[in-house]
Amino acid sequence: MAAFGPKGRDRHNGEIRVAKIVGALGVPHTPFFPALVEREGADCSTARLFAAVTRELEAMRPDLLVMFDTDHLNTFFLDNLPIFAVGVGSAFKGPNDEPRAVPIYTIPSRPDVAAHIRRAGVEAGFDLALVQEFTVDHSVVVPLHFMTPRMQIPVIPIFVSGHVPPLPSAQRCFDLGAAVKRAIEGFAEPLRVAVIGNGSFSLEVFGPRIAPGKSDGVPDPAWAERACALIAEGAYDALIAETTPRQLRKAGNVGGEILNWIAMLPSVDGRRPKFVTPQMEQGHAYAAWTWS
Amino acid sequence: MSTYAVNYLCRELLRDHAFRAAMKADPAGALARHDLTEEERTALLAGDVAKLYRLGVNAFLMGYLPRFEVCGLTMPLYNERIRTCAAEAEREAGA
Repeated sequence: MAAFGPKGRDRHNGEIRVAKIVGALGVPHTPFFPALVEREGADCSTARLFAAVTRELEAMRPDLLVMFDTDHLNTFFLDNLPIFAVGVGSAFKGPNDEPRAVPIYTIPSRPDVAAHIRRAGVEAGFDLALVQEFTVDHSVVVPLHFMTPRMQIPVIPIFVSGHVPPLPSAQRCFDLGAAVKRAIEGFAEPLRVAVIGNGSFSLEVFGPRIAPGKSDGVPDPAWAERACALIAEGAYDALIAETTPRQLRKAGNVGGEILNWIAMLPSVDGRRPKFVTPQMEQGHAYAAWTWS
Repeated sequence: MSTYAVNYLCRELLRDHAFRAAMKADPAGALARHDLTEEERTALLAGDVAKLYRLGVNAFLMGYLPRFEVCGLTMPLYNERIRTCAAEAEREAGA
């Protein structure tokens, strides 16, 4: 360890020996997508959209995924509900909420990196809860089911409270994401890390603003479109400014999931996405940022 | 906070398959051991999800009631009933 300078470079040969972020993704986690794709096949729009982000993820050749996620009162509950938490374990199982057509996976993780991120986050002023013995719900597993179904890449989940008000502010989530980015870039192992944010921009699930005849609905499609447009332009400051508590309420009872995307954004260092493809009937999008 | 008990048993429908079966077979009996107000118990047994929403129960968790078809609820019936709160939900959201 003594061989590493303050910026994590090996003083002897200048080789970078710390982890680096090699790309980022934004994805949805809709629980009925696995059954839908099983039914409709690889040519349906959802299968193709997930295939597009999976191609980008594979090209990043990541050794580790760090995923900002909102649990749906399955990992946590109303008796114990952290605003932010880091999953620190060698592996975890999921889904724990029985989405159709999804097997129970065992997902490997990196407790050493997770503990480092948590320690660095706390030192940076973020009160990150520790969760060591846990399972995860569809929100973590559905994107992985499509993107890394062999579960060969370790995943560190960072949980952001996005459903049960009061929610953390958009700025706070962005700042958390910046602290996580710095922590990753300070980990003394040359890991290639992809950062993922998951969830919807506008969605109501089982609440009063669902669509007639459905279990969900998009209460504020204009906001979902606006969020996509701001992301496409790289206008992240504007996105943070416009993601107000009132806008989050208008967006639907799970619209706070956009906070996971906002926490992912510091990892892209101001770059514009390679693509952001909306799927407006669900109020969400698929996006990829690549640079190396 | 009393609505906690309703929120809790909604999630128990997902987690505890024996409770799920009991709620399908004999909801009043299955709810007897839960510490509910009479208002909550009556609304639950009637599948009155609009009433429960107005009492402050979490709507996402109430979705387990029609998902597992307990308290006489099906998805179409749930949809019809919860949407009677749409106007007030829009107002509360400032939409």
